[in-house]
Amino acid sequence: MDDGFPPPPSMSHPGIVALDITDKFASAVKTLPPGQIVKDGHFTLFESVSALEIMDPKMDSGCLEEGESLDEEYDTARDLLPEEVLGIIDQLLCLEMAWHLGYPLSQTILTSVYVEALLRDPNAPLSSMTFLRDSASPAKQPKFLFVLRAYCAGMLRGCHCVNEVVKDELYYEEEDFVTNTYDRNFLSHIEMAEVIALLQATRADLRELSNDVPKDLALALDLRLELRIAFLRAMELFPLRKSNPDSLKMPWIQMKELMKHFKKQHALAKAVPEAFSTKMQRRLASTMPPRPIVHLSFDDTYTHFEQMFQDGKDAMDVLKYVDPQSLLHFVSTFQARNPQPLVFIRTMTQGLLFKDMIVLGHHSIRRILDDDLAIVVLPSARQLDPANDTIEVPTDPRHQLAVQMETFRQRAAECYLDLFRIFCQNRCRVRRTLCHSIQQWDHLQADVEEIDGLLQVCLDEKSLTTAMGNIGHSLPLSSWAYLYKLRQMEWIVQLGFELDVYQPDELAGMYWYLNYLAKTRAQHGDRIKTFVLREFTAAQESPSWSQTKERNFTRSIAYIRVTMLDAACTWEFADGLCCLYTVLQRLGLVKTPSRPYSNDEHRYEIRMKPFVNIGLPQLPSFDDFTKATAQPETSITELLKYAENAVGGAKKGYEALSRMNDLQTFSVGCHDRWLANIKGCQKSAIFAGLAITTLQKAIETEGENAADLKLKVELPQPGKGYHDWWIVPKLTPKIES
Amino acid sequence: METATRATELPGELRYIQYEHALEEQYLPAIRALISKDLSEPYSIYVYRYFLYQWAHLCYMVSILCSALSLGPNLDLECLLHIRRALHPDDGSLIGVIICKLEHHASHSPATHRGYIAMLAVSSAYRGHGIATALVKMAIDAMSDRNADEVVLETEETNTAAMRLYERLGFLRSKKLHRYYLNGNSAYRLVLLLKSSMRPPPPLLPLDSASAAAVTTGGGSATEDARPVSPTH
Repeated sequence: MDDGFPPPPSMSHPGIVALDITDKFASAVKTLPPGQIVKDGHFTLFESVSALEIMDPKMDSGCLEEGESLDEEYDTARDLLPEEVLGIIDQLLCLEMAWHLGYPLSQTILTSVYVEALLRDPNAPLSSMTFLRDSASPAKQPKFLFVLRAYCAGMLRGCHCVNEVVKDELYYEEEDFVTNTYDRNFLSHIEMAEVIALLQATRADLRELSNDVPKDLALALDLRLELRIAFLRAMELFPLRKSNPDSLKMPWIQMKELMKHFKKQHALAKAVPEAFSTKMQRRLASTMPPRPIVHLSFDDTYTHFEQMFQDGKDAMDVLKYVDPQSLLHFVSTFQARNPQPLVFIRTMTQGLLFKDMIVLGHHSIRRILDDDLAIVVLPSARQLDPANDTIEVPTDPRHQLAVQMETFRQRAAECYLDLFRIFCQNRCRVRRTLCHSIQQWDHLQADVEEIDGLLQVCLDEKSLTTAMGNIGHSLPLSSWAYLYKLRQMEWIVQLGFELDVYQPDELAGMYWYLNYLAKTRAQHGDRIKTFVLREFTAAQESPSWSQTKERNFTRSIAYIRVTMLDAACTWEFADGLCCLYTVLQRLGLVKTPSRPYSNDEHRYEIRMKPFVNIGLPQLPSFDDFTKATAQPETSITELLKYAENAVGGAKKGYEALSRMNDLQTFSVGCHDRWLANIKGCQKSAIFAGLAITTLQKAIETEGENAADLKLKVELPQPGKGYHDWWIVPKLTPKIES
Repeated sequence: METATRATELPGELRYIQYEHALEEQYLPAIRALISKDLSEPYSIYVYRYFLYQWAHLCYMVSILCSALSLGPNLDLECLLHIRRALHPDDGSLIGVIICKLEHHASHSPATHRGYIAMLAVSSAYRGHGIATALVKMAIDAMSDRNADEVVLETEETNTAAMRLYERLGFLRSKKLHRYYLNGNSAYRLVLLLKSSMRPPPPLLPLDSASAAAVTTGGGSATEDARPVSPTH
């Protein structure tokens, strides 16, 4: 040690030949000036961002201040007052929620000295997990520590469950959630029942101490232990998807009730900030620089937990399956909640939906897919008759049908199930993933049209001639795919509005494109309807006509009706807003930035990038788009008249939709959310109508000169409008200064 | 808008400087000091070097030279010292910097020659004078001269001033990135297209002929963007 270097480590393993390279290294680095690095081609931006500088206190977690100790010196065996136990528990609740919100365990729960002490031995049985370093007899330990110990055990086991639920499903690590436990074992080796038993026993022991603890404080501690039990129960129950959903909800309801007490009881707690330290990060298996403890207020924590328990309860209703269209509405409206359910709830929902490839614990994927086809395009169709599967004669058309339909299912299942999963992602990801999904559906549509061709031979289907001329064959499978693709394209544009992606002077164009997509969907719905009605008429005349068949056809026709109405509302409302924004731009009330480095064509290209490779509907050319949006040949008065009618039409459409029941609108099990959504659209349409009227009146009296109009145009802040997908401008008189 | 905030004149003359690798010792500490002020977590020196070694020609700095007038008539010596020490990390003479890269970006079809604005900072006392805009323009011009197809960047969703700056120049928000930054904030990806890659589509079919008949298309699906730089890593 006299030369200042530590001695080389003693290596004795037959496979290791130790070489001292100290001198070689020391002479090699002498050729580099200080700060210089040796970089090879594999040193990418990722490596450079992950690199740390030793001895920089902001990056080097082992870098100590003068006189600072490496380890935290807090003694976990110290005595704690009951209000301090409560304080630590409430702080742990805040940290647990911060983890749910997306911060890593290293900045949240694992900053607790108590948690660190409890997890010291990764394989210890529950009985020997204590805060005491030596195996002092429990009688000697501080009086109220056992409450904290049981709470921590319950919390950690619960966190383990959460991590497993999340990891099993689609989520984005670091973006949504951090599952990294830094090699800490969160009691995965201990049965949940054992932890629950400990919590129960702790509650009983706490009651024994009733003379030593103020009543309200004892109750506060007791209810927190109860919460941990309820949480573990919820985790035990939710994989039992075959059970009655209402019984699976029980622990969630219980937790929400408990939370209400917590809010009041928090005032009793005495914080122990020194029981949490970033120094704990040094012991974790990580190269991360030291990062601060995440501080979430108790009020925010409370609000998030309350919402989480409500969402957890509501998620169980997804198991009440009625039909796939209602299921899709359930998932899409549930995930559109603001604030959106936490990633834990979103992944749990995915588990409820698809765990082990069994849909909702009961159904095969085939069942869901066939149900969907039966509603959308093929009511009581021969293709979907399960009896086809029993025919083994290859020349029998029914055998052919079975084979072709199975090919279809193989091809379509993944795209179809992905739709449900996509909606369980964060909103930014929903939009981004849909941009990829439509490419898949575009290919799917082309592929299954080939199957349609083969099936129409098996079924001996004739092409259809109407007053419009020959409209070809029904092509049910590709029609089905096309309908979904169109709806997803609309969602992409609508989520663009929701996520505040478009600038004010883009709104006219984006609403025009939305109108174009919705109109295409309405027309496509009309085409499907024509073929369903042809089958309906034929089936009614057939001797095998039955009540079941009638029910199936009625349901299909109802579906097409509500789809077309929904598409028509979107088309009209979007058209109206397009005209309104075009007028506002012409008047200079919505300004266009100068944009010296860009031109309209280039921006159109960026905007339409997700759609450029889609075969159908074809992307309008830039010139067509510009002309359709700006409508240079239409006067301002005419445009506003047109907008007034279109928005009025949309308003009536939404009214009609809002009067329909859950069966008619395929929103069984989620009608309240579905209706709230429609009401939001309706309200937006009403206010859009007001804006148009205001502008019409101002122009009537003041003319078309923007300065004379004395109007101020305000766009709602993101999330502050009546509906996130409808950006309705507010026109108010400009106050003369 | 921009002019309205220019309440005061700048207390000196601005000098725009191209970064030079040979002067790293002089420049880099000042650059780090300026950029670190706006970051919750520091970048390691390798992040700066990653960009500056490879794309020194896409990095511009602004320094301010205090004019004799603003320093008063008797402070010539002070002023001289100031100039000599220009870009010292502690003296505040470096007031703005932009750091970029430009390379082929292959995770897209078709591949593009993509410029990327990695860092942009202007000292808070000097904001509102168009300095950031000038820096961004210089960077775009330099990337454009080197045949960039597009320029992209990310900006925090709460940074409305930055978004206004870029959007005024012609950038569009192409997507929103959930919880992109370490502080939990989301970001927008901003894109400026310099060259078109789109082949003009054939004229639009009349809407009423739209049928379920599929048009088979080529073109693979675009894969996810890599996340080039963010303090999150």
